[in-house]
Amino acid sequence: MTQCYHCHEPVAQQNQYTAEVLGQSRAMCCPGCQAVAQSIVDNGLEDYYRFRTAPAETPSEQQSLLDTLRLYDSPELQQELVADEGNSKQIQLTLEGIKCAACAWLIEKQLLKLDGIIQVAVNVSAHRATVRWQADKLKLSALLQQFERIGYHAQPFQPEVHEQEYQQVGRSFLKKLGLAGLMSMQVMMIAVALYFGLLGNLDEDTRHFLHWVSLVLTTPVVAYSGIDFYHSAWRAMRARSVNMDVPVSLAILILFSASALATLTQQGEVFFESVCMFIFLLLISRYLEHRARHKASEMSANITQFIPVAATVIDDGEHRQCLARSLTQGQKVLVKAGETIPVDGRIIDGNSYIDESMLSGEFEPVHKSTGDVVYGGSQNQYGALVIEVSRPLKQALISQIMALQDKALASKPKVALMVDRLARHFVTVVLITALLTFVGWQWAGHPDALWFAVSVLVATCPCALALATPSALTAAMGALNQRGILLKRSDLLEGVIGVQKVAFDKTGTLTEGHFRLADIHTAPGYDAAKLKSVAASLEAFSEHPIARAFAGLPRVQAERVEVHPGMGLSGWVEGQFYRLGAPRFMRHTINSPLKDCHILVEDEHQVLGGFVLEDPLRKEAAAVVAALPCDSLIISGDHAKHVAKVAQQLNIQQYFSQCTPEQKLQQLKQLQEQSKVMMIGDGINDSPVLAAADISVAVGGASDLAKNAADVILVGRSLTALPDLLELARRCRNKIRQNIAWALGYNLLAMPLAVAGILTPWMGVIGMSASSIIVVVNSVRLLTGDSTR
Amino acid sequence: MSIIYVLIPLAILLVAVAVMVFFWAVKSGQFDDLERHGSSILFDEDDTPSQSKRKPNDDGPRD
Repeated sequence: MTQCYHCHEPVAQQNQYTAEVLGQSRAMCCPGCQAVAQSIVDNGLEDYYRFRTAPAETPSEQQSLLDTLRLYDSPELQQELVADEGNSKQIQLTLEGIKCAACAWLIEKQLLKLDGIIQVAVNVSAHRATVRWQADKLKLSALLQQFERIGYHAQPFQPEVHEQEYQQVGRSFLKKLGLAGLMSMQVMMIAVALYFGLLGNLDEDTRHFLHWVSLVLTTPVVAYSGIDFYHSAWRAMRARSVNMDVPVSLAILILFSASALATLTQQGEVFFESVCMFIFLLLISRYLEHRARHKASEMSANITQFIPVAATVIDDGEHRQCLARSLTQGQKVLVKAGETIPVDGRIIDGNSYIDESMLSGEFEPVHKSTGDVVYGGSQNQYGALVIEVSRPLKQALISQIMALQDKALASKPKVALMVDRLARHFVTVVLITALLTFVGWQWAGHPDALWFAVSVLVATCPCALALATPSALTAAMGALNQRGILLKRSDLLEGVIGVQKVAFDKTGTLTEGHFRLADIHTAPGYDAAKLKSVAASLEAFSEHPIARAFAGLPRVQAERVEVHPGMGLSGWVEGQFYRLGAPRFMRHTINSPLKDCHILVEDEHQVLGGFVLEDPLRKEAAAVVAALPCDSLIISGDHAKHVAKVAQQLNIQQYFSQCTPEQKLQQLKQLQEQSKVMMIGDGINDSPVLAAADISVAVGGASDLAKNAADVILVGRSLTALPDLLELARRCRNKIRQNIAWALGYNLLAMPLAVAGILTPWMGVIGMSASSIIVVVNSVRLLTGDSTR
Repeated sequence: MSIIYVLIPLAILLVAVAVMVFFWAVKSGQFDDLERHGSSILFDEDDTPSQSKRKPNDDGPRD
C-alpha cells in the first residue's frame, strides 16, 4: 500500500490527494496533509522534506479549532499566560507533532513570515517554543493558527514550578561540570610535569610554583563544583545516616586539605589532579542522570491539555469568556461541540456524546442529556450543551484524580541503594583504618605518619565504589533510551529486577484502543461490499468514534443524512433510504446471525446486514506477554466479557474487570501484599495505580497524566520494548555487582599495602584511577548491547 | 625555565576567560536543546533573497 508522503500513513485511494514536493507528485492520505504539504512547498520550505528524519504528524481536521484559538485573544487569559515586555510580548508554547530538527526549522521559517514576530526559538527535545511578538501588530490566535497551517498544534502553557527548578538545577550542573572539566585539564597537565619531575630533575622552586598553581586551579573546583556532594553528605549526617556522598566528600576534603597543607608547608605530596578528576567523573554521571529525568518530565508536562483554560459563561443571556478556574457553583456555562468541558456540572440544556476516555480509560463515548452529570476534562463531541456548574475546578474529578496520584507518589517506598548500605560500613572501616595507621606510625615515631594515613585514604578512596552503581545505571539508561524506553529515575532499574507480577490495563495497552471492523453479516442475497459502501457513506457524516472504523472504506455520495444521537444515522444513498445504527434503532426484526452485530443496516423493507466491531489486540501483545519472565494479569475498567476474551487470547489466567480508579488502586494494593507488581497503563484513570505500583510503565500514546505518574515511559507505540527493559535491568544488576566486587577487591588489596607504608600516595592515585576506569569501561559495555548477555 | 612564571599565569587567565564564556553560554540557554543545533547546519539560513520567490516548477537545473 502507498504511504502518505507527509505523514507516512497508508493511503486509501490513490491519486485522490496529491501535492508536488521536490519536483515529484506525491500521494497524500487526506486533505489535511495535502494542505499542509502545499503550504510548505508554496512557502519555499521544501528543505523540510529533504532533511527531516521522521514523518510528520497527520494534521487534525477539527472544525472548531479556530474558535478555540480565538479564546486565547481574551485579555484575562493573556494576563495569565503571556509575559509583557514593554512593546513586545512573550509566550511559551507546547508543540504537538514536533519530531526532528527539520520541524523546528520549518516552524521558525513559517512564523517569521508573519508581520510582528520578533523572535522564535523552538526547542526540539522539550517540544516547546518561545515566541516574542508585537501585540499591536499580531493577535495571539493568528500566531497559533500559523502553527496549524503547517500541521503542528501549539498551545500556551505555564511551566510548572518543579519543572523550572529542573532547568535551573540542570544549568548549575552544567556550569559545575564545565568548570571541573576545564580545570582538570590544566591540573592534569601540571601533574604530568610533576610526575616527570620525579624522574628528571625539577628544581625545588619550580615544583613549589607548580604546586601553588595547582592549588589555585583546584580551589574553585572543590569550592564550587563539589558543593552538592557536601550538601548531600551534610544532610545525611544530620539525619544520622551515611550515604555515598559522605565518603566522597571526606575523600575530596581530606585530599584537598592535605595537599593544600603540603603546598603551604612546602613538604609532602600533592594530589590536586586526583581531586579534580574525582569531582569531574562523578559530576558527569550525576548530570547524565539528571538530564534523563528532566527529559522525561518535560515530555509529560502538558497535562494542561486536559484542564481547560477558558469557558463561556452565560450571564443574563449574554455570552462572556472567562477563566475556567474562576467558575463558581451555580454559574451556567456553554460548551460547544468539540470543546473540552471546563468543570464538573449538570446538563440543563441539550444532549450530546461525551468522550470520557481520559477519565474512565474506555473509549466508547457516553450519551448524556438534560439532568446528567458531566466531568471537567471530558470532551463534548456532538451538540452544544448548557451546563450548571456543580463544583469549582479545584474540586473537579480530574483535580481529584491528580491529587490521588500525588498521594500515591508521596507514599511510594524509596528503593534503598545497595551501595549506600555498603558505603555505610565501608566508610567507617576506611576512616578507622586511616586513623589507626596514623596513630600507629606516629607511635612508632615515623616522620611520614600523616602521609601513610593519607595514602590509606587515597588508595582506598571510594571513587570506584562510588562510580560502580551510577556508571552502570547511566549506561543502562542510555541503552534503554536507544530502544525507546525512558526512565525517570535511574535507581528504578533495581526495582525492575524484583518484579514478580506484571499488571496490564486493557484498553489502549494490550489493545489498540479504537474500533476496527471485525466481521460482516449480511441478509441472504445481499452483497457485503455494497453494505460496506452504504455504511461508510453514512458514517462519513458522524463524529462518533465508531465512524472511524469505516473511515478507510470506499464511499459514495449520501444525501439528507440525519444523526440520531445515541441511536445511529439515517439517510439516502443512491436513491435508497437506509437506517444504520444500534440494534434498538432498527424497525424490522433482527434474525439470528445478525444478533451479535453492534451496528446494523436496514432499508424500508428489512434488515440488510450488520457489522461486528472490536478493539483489536496489539499485534505484538501475545509475543510480549509470552516473553515476560513473570506472571501477567489484567486490571481493566472494561466489561467482564471483553476482558475475559482478551485474557483468553493472551493466555492470561488472572483478570479484574469493571474497576473504577479507586478499585484499581485497591486491587493493586492487595497484589502488592504478596509480590512486587509492575503496572502498565495509558489512561488518566490509570495514573493513581501507576503512581502506586512498585514499577509503572506508560505505553507510547498514553495520556500525559499517565506519563507523568509512570516511572518508565515507552516512547514507541509498541510494547516490544518491555522484555528489553526487564532484560537490561538484569544485566545492569550483574554489572553493578561486578563493579562493586572489583572496586571492593581492589580497595581491600590496596589497604594493607597502604597501611604498611609500602604504597606511596602517588601509586595509590594511579591504582585508584585505574580501578575507576575499569569500572566505567565495564559499565559502558552495557551500551554496546553485546549478544553474550 | 623562568618563562613558565609568565606563561602559566597567562594560561590561567585564558582558562578563566573560557570559564566565563562557558558560564555565559549556559546562562543564555545555549545548552538547553542539544538535538536541534546538530542538524541546523543543513538548512539554508540566508532566506531573504532566495525565499522571496523560488518556483517549484522552474525549468532550470535542479539541485
